[in-house]
Amino acid sequence: MADPIVELRAVEKTFTRGRQPVKVLDGLDLTVEAGSFEALMGPSGSGKSTLLNLIAGLDRPTAGTLRVAGEDLGRLSEGGLADWRARNIGFVFQAFNLIPVLTAAQNVELPLVLSPLSTAQRKQHVATALRIVGLADRMDHLPRQLSGGQEQRVAIARAIATDPKIIVADEPTGDLDRHSAEEILGLFAKLNDELGKTIFMVTHDPLAAERAKVVRRMDKGKLLVA
Amino acid sequence: MLFLLAAKGMLRNLFRSVLTLLGVAIAILAFTFLRTTIEAWYAGVDAASQDRLATRHKVSITLPMPRAYFEKVKDRVTGITAVTYANWVGAVDPKDERAFFANFAVDGETYFETYDEVVIPPGQLAEWRTDPTGCIVGEALAGQKGWKVGDRITLRGTIYPGDLQLTVRGIYGTKRKTFDKSTLFFHWKYLNEIADASRKDQIGFLGIRVADASQGPAIARAVDELFANSDTETLTESERAFNLSFLSMFSTVLKALDVVSVVILCIMGLILANTIAMGVRERTHEYGVLRAIGFQPRHLALLVGGEGLVMGIAGGVVGVAASLVVVNAFGKWLEDNFGQFFPYYSMSTTSVFLGLGLAAIIGLVASLVPAWSAARLEVVQALRRL
Ligand SMILES: Nc1ncnc2c1ncn2[C@@H]1O[C@H](COP(=O)(O)OP(=O)(O)O)[C@@H](O)[C@H]1O
Ligand SMILES: [Mg+2]
Repeated sequence: MADPIVELRAVEKTFTRGRQPVKVLDGLDLTVEAGSFEALMGPSGSGKSTLLNLIAGLDRPTAGTLRVAGEDLGRLSEGGLADWRARNIGFVFQAFNLIPVLTAAQNVELPLVLSPLSTAQRKQHVATALRIVGLADRMDHLPRQLSGGQEQRVAIARAIATDPKIIVADEPTGDLDRHSAEEILGLFAKLNDELGKTIFMVTHDPLAAERAKVVRRMDKGKLLVA
Repeated sequence: MLFLLAAKGMLRNLFRSVLTLLGVAIAILAFTFLRTTIEAWYAGVDAASQDRLATRHKVSITLPMPRAYFEKVKDRVTGITAVTYANWVGAVDPKDERAFFANFAVDGETYFETYDEVVIPPGQLAEWRTDPTGCIVGEALAGQKGWKVGDRITLRGTIYPGDLQLTVRGIYGTKRKTFDKSTLFFHWKYLNEIADASRKDQIGFLGIRVADASQGPAIARAVDELFANSDTETLTESERAFNLSFLSMFSTVLKALDVVSVVILCIMGLILANTIAMGVRERTHEYGVLRAIGFQPRHLALLVGGEGLVMGIAGGVVGVAASLVVVNAFGKWLEDNFGQFFPYYSMSTTSVFLGLGLAAIIGLVASLVPAWSAARLEVVQALRRL
């Protein structure tokens, strides 16, 4: 059995909407093994994105502990958490979220700016990442000159440029047509198989879930036993 | 890369950036222009003659002194090479009453010896001395009015009632740029003749040239001691100090200019702050992405602050360049036509750097609040905002 890379114990998250507290995550326990490719499904508003954000260190739980990539996230400061994200997490969003004024290569280079790499090394990382997603020939294109599928592939290249252990993806195929979605899912499978990346993906799409090794379901802030 | 992002961010809304930049530039232009005007006003003061003193009524520059003071100073005070006296008349040209020019009633024998930077062709000076109603006008004023030697002119009194019937006997130039080229001088005796009883034998100020400039303060004290404990005590100061108290008559205008120049900068700062804040609001989602990727709050603050700084400096450069052009174009014209106010109308290096420095500071200050709010963004909230 592989080591757990994500461990959640009794995690709760409560938002206050107006004056009313809303418990979005209700005592979650979750273990994800290193090298796994997991899909998280569930109805809208069930707390999937909230859970993903906690795992990725974007937000903090109201109660409970998170150990991710060997770190107790509760112990990190805001700045420490940002550093930790830069080193350990690759993000893929539903809306791609590329910076529109930067070229594909510059977008991919963005997270590397925070690393101690030299310019030459950075260029090399960018080239490698773009080659992996099959867009080596689109380096100098701006996001608006790319199709949705290509944009998402650039976003994936950006997510893997720093060589993070975990890739989190929130409905990565939600804005894509069937064909592009297949491409993206194939890419995730490849990253998982060949590069050993742990992938944690929130999705609505049953076809997407089919590509994952583990499928989890969530409803009303609780994980359902599979 | 952060720099690239800041630069591209500004180019994104090119129209707005250009407008903002122009706004900064115009504010800086207005600021340096006003500064230059104020400085030019004081330039005459700073360039005052070192070896000259002026004596006036102790209470106010607008109060007269007995003419006998002139003789007393001339006879009793040692270390002086020339003394003269004059009155500020304040008469106007009835054809154009609002066009101000200085006019003084002066002592024909001594005035131009004391103020020897005034250059009058010797023949003309001699002519004037023999004509009781003659006058001497500055070349700029003569050019403006189209007056020539021999012309008869009428001035209407304001302080002194009645008209002055004068004949132009000479036109003067100056050896020193700071001496006004738009003044009219006529004989004090003529003014004294037409003055009513209460104003007879009164003078406005004494001009004194000292042999040794370092003895100026001692001589000034000696003069004032002559008249101590009399009805009309005097105040003798260096020409510089005298010019300053003369300028103080206009001090409200100068202060207003000063305030206006600062107000312009403040307004500009607020507008710039608003523009930058607008940009931050539009880019909230993008900042959320950057933060998710691992950028620190300080990186975002730097990004926004950098934008403000660049805006400020760029606007400052354009504004200062524009005011150099404007000041050069108008400077000569102002010096010639409004020499009494602007003997030296040109932009000082201080103004250039003050303009640039303030522009940069405004840019930074204007971006403080937006930078702070960018740094404070909550990642998850920022990402949800699209
Ligand atoms: N920052 C927030 N403030 C208040 N309520 C929130 C916040 N984020 C999420 N929620 C609420 O939490 C619930 C779960 O949201 P989310 O995790 O985005 O669901 P999902 O991704 O499963 O659709 C929703 O009801 C949502 O409105
Ligand atoms: Mg969601």
